[in-house]
Amino acid sequence: MYEKVFESTKLAQPTQGGDSWYYLCYVSTWDAFLAQSIWEWSRVFRDGTKVKFGTTSGGYALLGRVKGFPAYWNQWTGKVHPAFEINGLPNPNEVLNPNWDIGYSLGPSMQVGKFIDDMNQVYLHQPNANRIDIYDLENGQKLGEIIHNAGEYFASLAWVQPGQVAGLCRGSGKVRIMDYLSSPRVLESGRIEPFKVAAYDDAFHLFFALGTDHKARVYCREAWPAALSAPVFDPAAVYGLKANRVKARLTGQDGEPCPDWWVHWELLGVAGNPPLGYFDRLVSKTDKEGWARNLYFGPDDVSAGQTRIMARVVLY
Amino acid sequence: MSLWHVQTVAPCMEYIELGRACYTTTPPLWGPDGLIYNGHLITCPRHYKQTTNDVANFFYEPGNDRLVAHIILSTTYWPSWDVQRYEFSAEDGSWLNREEVLARQAFIGIWGAAWTRDGTMGSFNKIYACRNSETAIREISWRTAEPVSGGWWVDPYTWNPKSIYGFAVVNRVDNHFAGIGSWTLDCWRNLGATPERFGQLRLPNTLGYLAYESRNYCWVVTKDGGILKADYQVPRWEMISTVQNPTADARNYYITYDTRRKRVVVFRWREDAPDGACRNQLEFYYPMVEAGQLTQPVPVTSLRAGNRIILAAHLIGDAGEGVTPYTVEGELIEPVEGRLVTPFSGTELNGRVCFQYQAPDQACTETLMLQVSVEES
Repeated sequence: MYEKVFESTKLAQPTQGGDSWYYLCYVSTWDAFLAQSIWEWSRVFRDGTKVKFGTTSGGYALLGRVKGFPAYWNQWTGKVHPAFEINGLPNPNEVLNPNWDIGYSLGPSMQVGKFIDDMNQVYLHQPNANRIDIYDLENGQKLGEIIHNAGEYFASLAWVQPGQVAGLCRGSGKVRIMDYLSSPRVLESGRIEPFKVAAYDDAFHLFFALGTDHKARVYCREAWPAALSAPVFDPAAVYGLKANRVKARLTGQDGEPCPDWWVHWELLGVAGNPPLGYFDRLVSKTDKEGWARNLYFGPDDVSAGQTRIMARVVLY
Repeated sequence: MSLWHVQTVAPCMEYIELGRACYTTTPPLWGPDGLIYNGHLITCPRHYKQTTNDVANFFYEPGNDRLVAHIILSTTYWPSWDVQRYEFSAEDGSWLNREEVLARQAFIGIWGAAWTRDGTMGSFNKIYACRNSETAIREISWRTAEPVSGGWWVDPYTWNPKSIYGFAVVNRVDNHFAGIGSWTLDCWRNLGATPERFGQLRLPNTLGYLAYESRNYCWVVTKDGGILKADYQVPRWEMISTVQNPTADARNYYITYDTRRKRVVVFRWREDAPDGACRNQLEFYYPMVEAGQLTQPVPVTSLRAGNRIILAAHLIGDAGEGVTPYTVEGELIEPVEGRLVTPFSGTELNGRVCFQYQAPDQACTETLMLQVSVEES
């Protein structure tokens, strides 16, 4: 689970009753989000402030675009149009896929997000809940695929950085950061709370979601710790008068590593006896894989007995 | 507060008073008082002999430096309708031909107003308008709204693709033309030879009115009070904003651009007051955005003890457009445990301000207050 850094008190709700959001996209030039519902276009800010600026009309479906802009797919022509930076409205004068019309079965929908990279001439399509197909915009040929096994369609496919997209699942809140260019694969997995619509904020690398309760939630791209493993010796045999390597791993709710957290090490005595030996360091920082490492020195007077190691992380 | 509001003249016009006590029951068409049309207009509490039925044209007339509205009225007197030309000062919105209109001397005839609509100024300070009776766009007289004999005209229905427009801006200097049916601004070029539709802009909502600014720009007001500026030669949207306090009682908005003072004028057609008094109003705006609200600061980095934390907020107008340049001041509210590294910050083009906060090494709760002073016009 990613760390939630903000939850709004304001409610970002469509103006008309019975309306609901079905797409959200981060717009880098606004530093805000374009939200589309059945009947309106709005600009939503991170604190949940919503400003309606237009009324949607049929024929245009939103999809993600390289560099963090929205694009619009026209279901009648199969063309994808960019959006104006000023107001996010579709610009029918430009076409991003002049060589290949994206047919009805490949186009985006409310449930299934799509993504277009017109700089590298690539289109991402989700044929099922566990895979993304990569198409060449020049000729419509399939170039490759990403197996992500999320088990749910990504409602949004949003740009992260050159060659990377984030997929966000509405029902489970699962998140996959994927490479679609150099070697298509899943780079990072995580989770946010289930949402109505969500987007990836590529300015500050955040996940931004509007929940079914209309609250805005902001998650930073760092896993929030859920579990610290019991310390283990590596190698397992412990000797006195020797620096024995010991480590503990800090992970999030889904086993994702939590880097850069301080782990506090402490020796406890057993059955009223004082602790034996000592640590090299009292605190150590977790590495990229979530491991915190330390050295344990056994007692230097050949005394034998038992001692306990306690590893702690202070969250708040 | 949307576009930078200069002033509002409300109401900017009046209807002719009945001049006697209003009727308690709606008078019949033929009654003891003679022929009375639209009897509901003078049934208590209403006591005016006119009401706005439609605003045929609203434009800035540079020759006389006036704002002109051709308004079709429903009346109680014969023949149940009237068409008057209302002239307002472009300087302060005062009603210049009040006596004339209230004496029904500014009558322009039905044909100009009924068959011509949505005129706006175009090239060479002339007024051009679409027509209800034909597909052509013609130069019209600002006085009567009737086509000028021997005046310039084009017929988009003869172009490819055949088009019919309700609103148009005419740029004869560059042979450009932009027209709107309801949702899309079609941009044409090469008017002198074979006209070519080279671009389209989709509106965010159905159109209220279209106005010419210059050889490059035109202004759009939508039915719900959104204001947009477009470059119709590229074509490209240049700006999005709104009128001040868009109200539900607005029947429609009409926009024009005062090319002398470089400002936008909006005519808001509002529902009559309960007593039937006119509430139509003129609003003057500078074409720049006024700050409307400051969003809450939101942390955008991990909230951990000892970290340098970045918080972002936005200063925006009523359509969410960023407002710059302003300085936003931040202040931590007592009790303060950390340190605000950025005591003030300037807005970026999208209205964003960022603040840095140094968190202490222990858990704490902190409140950041932001404030900005925006000079009032």
